[in-house]
Amino acid sequence: MSKRIMIIDDEKIVCEMAKISLEEDSYEVETFLNGTSALERLEQRKFDVVVTDLKMKGIDGLQVLKTVKENYPDTKVIMITAFANLDIAIEAIKGDVFDFFPKPVKIKELKASIQKALSE
Amino acid sequence: MLRMLARIFEKPLDIKRAFPLFKQILESNNRALEVIADMGETMGGDYLFDINYIDNAYSMLSRHLTTSMQDFGSLTKNRYQLEDKFDRIDSLINSVLLGSDIGNRELVLTYDRITWTMAREVGGKNYHLSELVNNLDLNIPAAFAITAHSCTEFFRHNRLQERISSLGGNDISPEELADVREAILKGDIPRDLDSAIESAIMKLDEINAAALTLAVRSSAEDEDGEFTFAGQFQSVLNVRPRKDDVERAYKEVLSSLFADDSVVYQRQLGYAIGSLRMPVACVSMVDAVSSGVLYTESPDMARKGTMMISASWGLGISVVQGHTEADLFIVKKAAVPELVESKVGGKAVMTVTKENGGVEEIHTPADLCNKLCITEKEIMELSLCAMTIEKYYKRPQDIEWAYGKDGKLYILQSRPLVIQEENTSDEDITDVEEIQNPAIIKNAGFVVQKGTASGKVFLLKNPSELELVPRGAILVAKNDSPQYIKAMPRAAAIITDTGTPASHMASICREFRIPTLVNTGNATNILHHGQEITLYAADEGNSTVYDGRVGVLIDRGRKQQRRMEELYEFRKKKYIMGYISALNLVDPLVDEFTTDKCKTVHDILRFMHEESVQALIEASLHAGRRSALKRLEISIPAGIWIIDMGGGLTAGAGDIVTAEDVLSEPFKALIQGMSYPGAWHTEAVPLKMGDLLSSISRMPGLTSDEAGIGGKNIAVISGEYVNLSLKFGYHYNLLDCYLNENPKNNHIYFRFVGGATDIGKRSRRIRLLDIVLKEYGLDTQIKGDLIIGRISNIATEETIKILDHAGRLIAYSRQLDTVLVNDSLVEKYAQRFLAGNYKI
Repeated sequence: MSKRIMIIDDEKIVCEMAKISLEEDSYEVETFLNGTSALERLEQRKFDVVVTDLKMKGIDGLQVLKTVKENYPDTKVIMITAFANLDIAIEAIKGDVFDFFPKPVKIKELKASIQKALSE
Repeated sequence: MLRMLARIFEKPLDIKRAFPLFKQILESNNRALEVIADMGETMGGDYLFDINYIDNAYSMLSRHLTTSMQDFGSLTKNRYQLEDKFDRIDSLINSVLLGSDIGNRELVLTYDRITWTMAREVGGKNYHLSELVNNLDLNIPAAFAITAHSCTEFFRHNRLQERISSLGGNDISPEELADVREAILKGDIPRDLDSAIESAIMKLDEINAAALTLAVRSSAEDEDGEFTFAGQFQSVLNVRPRKDDVERAYKEVLSSLFADDSVVYQRQLGYAIGSLRMPVACVSMVDAVSSGVLYTESPDMARKGTMMISASWGLGISVVQGHTEADLFIVKKAAVPELVESKVGGKAVMTVTKENGGVEEIHTPADLCNKLCITEKEIMELSLCAMTIEKYYKRPQDIEWAYGKDGKLYILQSRPLVIQEENTSDEDITDVEEIQNPAIIKNAGFVVQKGTASGKVFLLKNPSELELVPRGAILVAKNDSPQYIKAMPRAAAIITDTGTPASHMASICREFRIPTLVNTGNATNILHHGQEITLYAADEGNSTVYDGRVGVLIDRGRKQQRRMEELYEFRKKKYIMGYISALNLVDPLVDEFTTDKCKTVHDILRFMHEESVQALIEASLHAGRRSALKRLEISIPAGIWIIDMGGGLTAGAGDIVTAEDVLSEPFKALIQGMSYPGAWHTEAVPLKMGDLLSSISRMPGLTSDEAGIGGKNIAVISGEYVNLSLKFGYHYNLLDCYLNENPKNNHIYFRFVGGATDIGKRSRRIRLLDIVLKEYGLDTQIKGDLIIGRISNIATEETIKILDHAGRLIAYSRQLDTVLVNDSLVEKYAQRFLAGNYKI
């Protein structure tokens, strides 16, 4: 069965490009433009990996991370963010994020990280 | 002309000020090009990027460009107004970055004025047709677009906007819709629009000398062509070119926005009724002998790699609507397309125009029914044209075409062809490992644009051969050059020995999405002309050139790229790059190399680079008049005097210097060439009486200013620079070169003019120089007895090699004109020289 990946980013282009790229590797991908709708979806369905942007309006990436770790401990979280947020990102890594990427993210490296997250 | 006059009369900047400015411009330009390269790579599909990235990258680019423009202004004494050009580009880019619509308040546009920024305003049909003529130079019927803004204006003028807005609900009655349609048909055309349509019709009349009628059609596809609204809106055909008729047809087309079926369809696509604004295309009707449809990919999987043409007599409507059994042709796609199957259709009916407007379907005359309606030659022409369009859009196309009574092929429409994809999603890297074809070049150089392509190698010897690069060939060359843009519409891929990912050419390759591998070191030695190869350029350190065609790689590459490019957001961001990395200024040797042609950031950078070289040359020539000179003593009596701007000579060098004192790398290479044994002929060659008379009767021209002072030959040098101006008898020879470890900075400029002999001999010498310079990769331009050769973006070693040979050429050609008594000797002496035989 295909592994399920959730992408959360308030920029549509990031979601769309990530979806296309990951579907090439036969993952099942769902994308969300905000944290709220993503967390609602997580209540309905299990995802193997959540790739989330850090800085978003409303529920941000750190809150997504916290919720996932508390309620779905098997789901791995990969954080992506603009380079300016590096300090917060390092905090996030301490908070049990599986991996972290500054934007722009090389798709090949993101794919490798997802693969690694799934094999653990 | 003004520029030339300014150059002649204006005193150039002092070389001591000019040279540091030149170096600063190089530095800023390089940084700007690096940012462009990074943007091209990041936004090319391999990275997830967001608007912050583009914002940051663009502001960095603006900073470097502004710095460079300031220095350039000082160097050229503000001769050019580049700031205005950049302001325009900057505001367009910012309007996209800020998410606002690019302002366009035009009512009617002829196709030559349509650019990509207007895609939304003119609608998909107009936009794609204008691309075919503006970007691909294909023949389409003369046409104009009535913009979406006109639609808004029409609704506003007739107070229809409120009425339309009130239709918003889900239960619009057919009566309400009929009322709106009626109101549109009765509406007045606003005065501005009325006169804009009238003048557009008059312009068309000038182009179409013969009696003209128009097809007035909706152009309301969305700009990605995802929703074509095929058949949803009305088209009015064979409309007489009279303002009233066109305006009536225009209103009919607008009213079809509110046709019952169309409203249902718009709702299904998620459009609020009344939210669509309709641009309209007014296209000249082709008086067609035959017409039809071409699919650039056969829908039949068993016929993969072939195109399918359906054709019938008269207008294409019968074929499009499937009313007639058309002729069918299957053509295999190749550099030279191959007709593999022809089938005569019954063609019982055909559509023709009616004398008083409109069209009708009639029975095809009996003698035409069973006769093929296009010739094999026409099939070939049509196929090549279709392949060009498919290559441009990077996906299969559904093309409507017609052959007119004038014998010309017209493209009437091209849109994406929706075909069932083969299920090959499981193909992965394993396929690559299973490839049987030998890998000829592996992981060498930089991948400038990723992608996969196969084709036959075209080994480029000099830029003049670019016109000869056939469709689908892989261009293999020593250096990279922006001039290759001339071959890009036809080249499947580009591979070079030298080059960097931030060069002008690299940016253009990304713009054109042509798979490109640079700096392979020795591709021109490994690959041979005509050899079939496949380039697989995946990533840095992951590229391979295979012998032969590797189909599995080609298919996979095409599919991945297409999906990414279909994203609206992705394309929008890519649009920005259209104002940054596209290059219109290709060839500095042509007259159009002006500020007016600077439409993109890349153009401005290129313009500044070329004109900075010119400004430096002028400053160097001027320097000879005023500076302290040192005499160079070498084995040949060249009579060269040196001005050192720093680092060109050893610290303790006296007033007389020898070759050993010279530290300037480019000058050293030149002297070495000029002193090469046998190249410099010391014995005087006797002039004939005719030659003497010829030389006496010619006054030294403006160019004489450029060759030294008081008979002295001057070299302005630094550690990395030489400007050598020589006057030997009646000819002037100039060589300017900047050379450092960064190939992007390097250039050689060679100029030769005049001579003592008659014009026949002098022009033979020019032709000989042309042959030799081209052999060394210089691009040349000849005017009478003047030749200019240029090359830039060259690796350090290559530059030194060319300088050495240029030095020999300067020495060798000094008196060569006297012996070139007939044309056949030009090639003979050129080949001798290239073979290292310098005997005259």
